[in-house]
Amino acid sequence: MSEYAIEAVGLHRTYRSRTGWSRPRRREVTAVRGVDLTVRQGELFGLLGPNGAGKTTTIKLLNTLLVPTAGTARVAGYDVVRQTREVRRRIGYVFGGDRGLYDRLSARDNLRYFAELYGVAPREQRRRTAELLDLVGLTGRENERVEGYSRGMRQRLHIARGLLHRPEVLFLDEPSIGVDPVAARELRQTVASLAANGTTVLLTTHYMAEADELCDRIAVIAGGRIRASGTPAELRRHAEGRQVLEVEAYGVTDRQLAEIHRLPGVREASLQVLGAVQLLTVQSAVGTDVQAEVLRVLAGIRLGRVLGRQPTLEDAYVAIVSATTTADEPTPEPAVAA
Amino acid sequence: MIALGALLHVKYQSRSSLEITIAVLLPVVQATLAVYLFRAGGQPDRLLEAAVGAGLMGIWSSVLFGSGGAIQNQRWQGTLEMLILAPRSPALVILPITLATALTGTYAMVATLLWGRLLYGIPLDFADPFAFAVAVPGCVLALGMFGLLLAATFVLLPNANALANPLDYPIWLVSGMLVPVTALPGWTTPIAAVLPTTWGARAVREAATGAGPVWPSLGICLAISLGCLALGAAVMSRVERRARAAATLALA
Amino acid sequence: MTSLFRLVGVGGVIAYRALFNWTTPSMFVGTLLVGPLFQLLFFAYLGRQLGVADDTFYIVGNAVLAASSAGVFGGTMAVSNERRFGTLGHVLLSPRSRTAVFLGRALPYAGNGLLIAACTLAGGALLLGLRIPPQALPGLLLVLGAAALSCGFFGLTLGAIGLRFRDVWLVSNVSVTLLLLLTGVNVPATELPAGLRAVGAVLPVTHAAEAARRLVAGDGLAAAAGPLAVEVLLALGYALLAAGLLKVFEAESRRRASLDTL
Repeated sequence: MSEYAIEAVGLHRTYRSRTGWSRPRRREVTAVRGVDLTVRQGELFGLLGPNGAGKTTTIKLLNTLLVPTAGTARVAGYDVVRQTREVRRRIGYVFGGDRGLYDRLSARDNLRYFAELYGVAPREQRRRTAELLDLVGLTGRENERVEGYSRGMRQRLHIARGLLHRPEVLFLDEPSIGVDPVAARELRQTVASLAANGTTVLLTTHYMAEADELCDRIAVIAGGRIRASGTPAELRRHAEGRQVLEVEAYGVTDRQLAEIHRLPGVREASLQVLGAVQLLTVQSAVGTDVQAEVLRVLAGIRLGRVLGRQPTLEDAYVAIVSATTTADEPTPEPAVAA
Repeated sequence: MIALGALLHVKYQSRSSLEITIAVLLPVVQATLAVYLFRAGGQPDRLLEAAVGAGLMGIWSSVLFGSGGAIQNQRWQGTLEMLILAPRSPALVILPITLATALTGTYAMVATLLWGRLLYGIPLDFADPFAFAVAVPGCVLALGMFGLLLAATFVLLPNANALANPLDYPIWLVSGMLVPVTALPGWTTPIAAVLPTTWGARAVREAATGAGPVWPSLGICLAISLGCLALGAAVMSRVERRARAAATLALA
Repeated sequence: MTSLFRLVGVGGVIAYRALFNWTTPSMFVGTLLVGPLFQLLFFAYLGRQLGVADDTFYIVGNAVLAASSAGVFGGTMAVSNERRFGTLGHVLLSPRSRTAVFLGRALPYAGNGLLIAACTLAGGALLLGLRIPPQALPGLLLVLGAAALSCGFFGLTLGAIGLRFRDVWLVSNVSVTLLLLLTGVNVPATELPAGLRAVGAVLPVTHAAEAARRLVAGDGLAAAAGPLAVEVLLALGYALLAAGLLKVFEAESRRRASLDTL
């Protein structure tokens, strides 16, 4: 058996759709174009990328829900296309969102059903269900119908379900999406302890902080391809040799942003909206002081805090993703960090 | 596993007030329709047959819409993917759902007979009550298995109900559920002969009216259904693979 | 005034495309064209077997009834699918005449219904060998149109009820089955007890079917005019009812915050 829990080589996935019915046109969208991945056993691996980058497609290619149009993948030592059932015995899949559970049944019934379905031994089912309900903190609410659950509770139930049959590899697709910060933190703790116990975890997310905190290694995917991969520290080096200027502003126009982009010494400039205020982030080479110029461009706009700092993983991510997008496709918006 | 699955799906279906109300109300309407038609046709003594026939139509509706609708519902709920991910043959995963729809269909049979008794005073004197009590569950089981074949065909299509909707009348007609139709064109006879619905309906009617021996019909019904089960299982596996290649499992 | 027509017309058509579940060709043909034809065949053969009435009765009646599913389901879909897709709130926020928006939605469905009814009639006549006097054709078109329109507004009324109650599909499914029973199309009205006959008299399709039968029998437009007029009146009545209910329920749902609950 190989030492790798997940090995993917050259994964491609194209979606074909038809539009219009009097003169149907076929459209082909390539969501994943040549992804190579290796994840060692027991590793907590993060797949980071903006919306539409191909994260969910990649995860579905790996967990046997989709068949790749080209390329191969092995999970837990078995080929995902030729030995599908063996793979399914050893993996768990958890995805975020509101769907995926039987709303009109209780949490316990949901778990009972899936335990049976996923081959948990009948004698063990009750114990395992109770154990997992406890692990995710749903004991006491397990007999209520899922339709009354909050998003966070549903997420926890999703995780419990994913763990029923003690999978070797767990796939988590954007697990903290729409979950409040407190619940998200508990979720992260659960995931971290799972990995500590030897389960291999592949996590997709577009929350930088989450990836930074949890993952042993991260791959940044954008436009269907892996753009960079390594440990968080290694990735941060993409932003090395840079310093970051952060300006809180109220009312920066696109024209001004474009002008800032054109200033000499500016590598990146991006604008985020955080509630009522905008956060302008300007990356420049270490030693180059662009602050004066930037402030000149922003003259007349009300400003808040201005500070210079070291780059974080998020800045590295922005650097990687923007380098991609200026090269090929139109810009996908980098997500606002949670 | 099949038993647990079927029971949980019945539980799930029965918790929708929509399903329950339809299951109770539609039989009334169908029973009424059948009764008035038979009376208008000058055959008031065949009312039990009418009620039983209407009940059978109800079971078939439940299976047809249940199997097609169940796949669609699983898709909408996002649970279809989780079902497919189970390390089991997809047929074993879907069969409980179709069985559950057939079981729910028995509400229809029971309801029709009760309404018939209550509203129109139809005497519930079955020619062979024991055979009836066996034939109905047998028919239900058979239709559940047939439902798997239907479900397998529906998995690949995003809006399965399009096919489901037009299929209830033809089956009712060709299988002779309400009343055996002697005036149908000859080419329908072979089709009817291979449908488990035809034999199931025959078995149930024979038990109710004593028009013939029950067991041969029931036997043929179950045999054909087992064939459908096998075929459905084979198709299900192929279809699941195609759905994964064509990415229609989630269609979100 | 023209802008109102635009709202009714354009709004109606786009809403139709967005919300009608069956707009791909396979679905359209399957559910709406083939289905009613099968229904017609079922009752025709049943009628033959039981000796209730002749083929003509069943073919004409079921053809007119065929206009109903597009109307009834279309009307309920117009409202409840909004809720499903979450767009109901947005539509109701529109400052323009709500009534015109929703009434306009009935029109494409009515058009559908007319198409279906015509196809069903043609199909049934071909398959079962019915002869329709050619001079009856324009009258028939009128009758089918009236039936389609009243079914459309009837459906909208059901959809309006759906603004208030969760399970509107229940109502529409049961309605379609009730139409089967009560419109005197499959069970001749004379065979129904007085109470049910009275209910049938205020439902769409009943009078249009009667008008159609008279036309096909060769009685001429004069004989059919009576029931046709009643059908048209019913259509208007349902339109008014739908508009009224929409206003009432919308106001109420704003008080009770029940608009977006599925």
